Amino acid sequence: MPEFFHRKLERSAIGFVLAIIAAASVGGIVEIAPLFTIDETVEEAPDMRVYTPLELAGRNIYVREGCYACHSQMIRTLRDEVERYGPYSLAVESQYDRPMLWGSKRTGPDLARVGGKYSDFWHVAHLVNPRDVVPESNMPSYAFLARNRLRTDDLSGHLRAQQALGVPYTDEMIENAARDAYGQAAPDSAAAPGVGERYGPATTVSAFDGVATQLTEMDALVAYLQVLGRLTDAAYRNTAAPEEAPDPAE
Amino acid sequence: MIDLDHQAVVAFSKSWGLFYLMGFFLCVVVYAFWPSNRKRFDHAKISILDRDDKPGKSRPWK
Amino acid sequence: MNVTDRMIGQLTSGEREAALVICGVTALAGAALGLVGRHDVVAWHGLLILLFAGGFGFLLMTRIGLPEPTGDRGTSYYDDPIKAGITLAMAWAVFGMFMGVWVAAQLAWPDLAFDGGWSTFGRLRPTHTTGVIFGFGGNALIATSFHVVQRTSRARLAGQISPWFVLLGYNLFCLLAVSGYLLGVTQSKEYAEAEWYADLWLVIVWVTYFILYLRTLARRREPHIYVANWYFMAFIVVVAILHIVNNLALPVSWGHAKSYTIWPGVQDAMVQWWYGHNAVAFFLTAGFLGMLYYYLPVRAERPIFSYRLSILSFWGITFFYMWAGSHHLHYTALPHWVQTLGMTFSVMLLVPSWASAGNALLTLNGAWHRVRDDATLRFMMAAAVFYGISTFEGSFLAIRPVNALSHYTDWTVGHVHAGALGWVALITFGSFYTLVPRLWKRERMYSAALVEVHFWLSIAGTLIYVFAMWNSGIIQGLMWRTYTEDGALAYSFVDSLVAMYPYYIARAFGGLLFLIGAIVGCYNMWMTVRAVPEATRRAADEPVAAAVPGE
Repeated sequence: MPEFFHRKLERSAIGFVLAIIAAASVGGIVEIAPLFTIDETVEEAPDMRVYTPLELAGRNIYVREGCYACHSQMIRTLRDEVERYGPYSLAVESQYDRPMLWGSKRTGPDLARVGGKYSDFWHVAHLVNPRDVVPESNMPSYAFLARNRLRTDDLSGHLRAQQALGVPYTDEMIENAARDAYGQAAPDSAAAPGVGERYGPATTVSAFDGVATQLTEMDALVAYLQVLGRLTDAAYRNTAAPEEAPDPAE
Repeated sequence: MIDLDHQAVVAFSKSWGLFYLMGFFLCVVVYAFWPSNRKRFDHAKISILDRDDKPGKSRPWK
Repeated sequence: MNVTDRMIGQLTSGEREAALVICGVTALAGAALGLVGRHDVVAWHGLLILLFAGGFGFLLMTRIGLPEPTGDRGTSYYDDPIKAGITLAMAWAVFGMFMGVWVAAQLAWPDLAFDGGWSTFGRLRPTHTTGVIFGFGGNALIATSFHVVQRTSRARLAGQISPWFVLLGYNLFCLLAVSGYLLGVTQSKEYAEAEWYADLWLVIVWVTYFILYLRTLARRREPHIYVANWYFMAFIVVVAILHIVNNLALPVSWGHAKSYTIWPGVQDAMVQWWYGHNAVAFFLTAGFLGMLYYYLPVRAERPIFSYRLSILSFWGITFFYMWAGSHHLHYTALPHWVQTLGMTFSVMLLVPSWASAGNALLTLNGAWHRVRDDATLRFMMAAAVFYGISTFEGSFLAIRPVNALSHYTDWTVGHVHAGALGWVALITFGSFYTLVPRLWKRERMYSAALVEVHFWLSIAGTLIYVFAMWNSGIIQGLMWRTYTEDGALAYSFVDSLVAMYPYYIARAFGGLLFLIGAIVGCYNMWMTVRAVPEATRRAADEPVAAAVPGE
C-alpha cells in the first residue's frame, strides 16, 4: 500500500509537491501557531504606552539605516547580560514592535535599555562622529541625520497603518501626528503640551538635537533611542518568577 | 480558562509533531527500501551519465 | 548576428508579441507606481521598473521582424536562459563579494565611507547579503535548475518566454532590493529586506517559476524524477511559502515604500527566524544539493554512491529544517519549549546533512586521482567537506549553552561564511566549470590552470575568513562573560571591540582573496565562451590543409 501510494505520488509531480508541503509545513505550524495564544500567558504591562510619532519616525530611521545589523535589542536571561545591560527583555516589551528589532549581532552593545543612560547631547555628538566620544569605536558617522529635515506629512499615515494592525493609536493621535512630532522636539512651542496629554506625562519633550527651531532626523532618532526600554517598567517588577507559581493549597 | 487554551495548543504541538515525524519517517523508509523500486533507482542513478544531449522522444512507461 | 538577435530569433513572432505585452504591462505598472508615489522614494523604483521593462520591450520591438525560427525546437534543449543566468550569477558574484569586502573593511577602518547615508555599513551590508545570496546564489540556482530539469527529464523547458520572465523578473527583484537599501528602503527583516512591492513582484515571478518547473517535469521522458529535481522542487515550493508568510505587511499607502509587518514582537521574531533559518535550508542548502546530486556524478563520471540514501536525506532535510529556526532565539523572550524544540531538531538535522555529505564523498571513492588532477571536481569535493563541517558546526551552535557564548558574536558570522563560501560558492563554481564548456559546446575551460588558481584562492580566502571569525567570536563571547575575582564584569564592551580589530583586518583580507578568485573565474569563463569551437576551427583549417601539395 505505501509503495503504491508513493509510486502514484511520484508519478505525478503535483503529488510530489503536496508531499513536500506536508513534510515542510509541520515544523512551522507547530512552533508558530501557539504564539498566537501567547499573549494570554505573558506578563501584563498595563502601563505600557505606544511610540509617539517622533519616536516612531526615529524607529523607522533606525530601521532604514540598518542599525539592527550591529546592535541587538534583546537582553538574554544570562547573568553577565543582565549585569551589563539591565533586566532581561520581556516579550511584552516588544508587543508594539513591527518589525521586531531584537537583532542577531553585537558589533556594538545591546540597546534594549539604552534610553536615559546618556544625555541627548551625548547621543548627538556620538552620532555625528562616534570617535569624538568613543575613540576606539568603529561605528559609521551619521552626521547627515542632523542635516536632513524630518518628513512629517506622512506620519498620520504611518500611525493609521499601525492602528489597522492593532496598535492602540487613537484617532486623535493620528490626526495630530505631525503636530505632536514637532511639539515633542520643541519644548517651548504651543504644540508641546499636547504630546504629554496624548501619550502620558512621562513622555520626554526635549530639543533632542539641541536645535528647537528645526525638526531633523537626528531629533527623531535620539527621541527613539531615549525611549528604548522605557515604554513600560514591567521588566523591573519581579521578573524572575517561575512559569507556574506553586499552589499552597495542594 | 484562557490559560488552559494556550496549554492545550502547546501540548498538542509537542505531542502531535512527534507522531507525525515517526509516521513520515516510516513511509520514507518503506519507499526507499521497497524491493521493486530498486530497478528504478538504479536506472535513475545511471541515466544522468548518458552523454546524449538531446530531448527524448517517447514516454517509455506510458 | 549578435547574441540578442540569436536569442530573440528563437522565438516565434507570436511569442515575441506576447513578450512585448508582458514588458508593456510591467512598464505601465512601474509608471503607475512612480506616479502614485511621486512624493516618496518609491518613485525611483517606479522609474527603475519602467526603464527595465521598457528596455527589454525596446529590444524586442527593434527585432520583432526577425525571421521565424526554423526546424522543430522540441528536438533540442532550451539553453539560452541558462547561459544568461550563468552570466548574471557571475556578475552578481563580483558585485556582492565586492560589497562584502567593502563592509568588512569598514569594520576595521570605519572612515572608508562617503559622506551621506548610502555608504554606511548599515545600508551596505544588505547589498552584500542580497547580492551574494539572491543575486549570485539565486541566479545560479535558476540557471542550473533549468539545465538539470531538462537533462534529467530528457525534455525541453515547457515554455519559450516563461524561462526569460523568471530569470529577468528575478533580476529585477534583486535590483529593486539592492538599490532600495542604498536609498534607505528596507523592511529590516534579515535576508528579506526588500519592501512590499518588490516582494509582490517576486511572488509573481516565483509562481511562474514553479509552474514552469512542474510543467517541464510533467513532460519528462524518464519514468522516475531524478533526485536532484526533488531538491530544486523543494527549494521552489518552500521558498514560496516562506517568502509569503514572512513578508505579509501593510503598506502605509499605495504610493509609499514603507510597510509595517503584520507580525508583532515575539511572533515576528519567530516568523523572521523561521524564515531566516529555512532560507538557509531551502535556498542555500536544498537547491545547492540539487546541484551536487547532478554535477558531481556527471563530472566524476560515476553514479551517486547510494540513491536510497539521497532519498532518505532529502525527506530528512525537508522535514527537520522547518523546526530548527527557533535556535536563533535562545535565552530570549521566546517561550522556552519552542527554543528546546528548535535545539533538538537542529541536532537531529546532522543525520540527513552528513548523509548527503557522505554520499557525495563516497561517490568520489575510487576516483581520488581525478579529484587530484581536476580542480573542477575538487571544487565540488571541497564543497561537500565544507557542507559537512558547517552543518556540524550549525548543530553544535544550536545547543543552548554553546549558543549562550556564540550568539551575537562573530562566530555566527564565521559559521555562515563557512557555509556560504565553503559550501554554496564552491559547489556553484564547480557546477559552472562543468556546465560552461558543455553549454557553449567547448571541449574544456579556456584554462585549467586558472581554475586551479581560482580553487586555491577560494580555499585560502575561506580558511582565513573562517579562522579569523572563530577567533574573534570566541574571544568576544568570553570577554563579555569574564568576571574579576570580586565578581564584577572584567571587560567593558569597548575592550572587546578593541580586541576585534586584528581579526576584522584578517577577515577583510580573506574575503578579498575570495573576490579575486571569483574575478579570475569570470575571466576564464569569458575566454571559454569567446574561444572558437574546436570543430569550427578544424573545419576552417581543412581547405588549407587540402591545398598543401604532395600530401
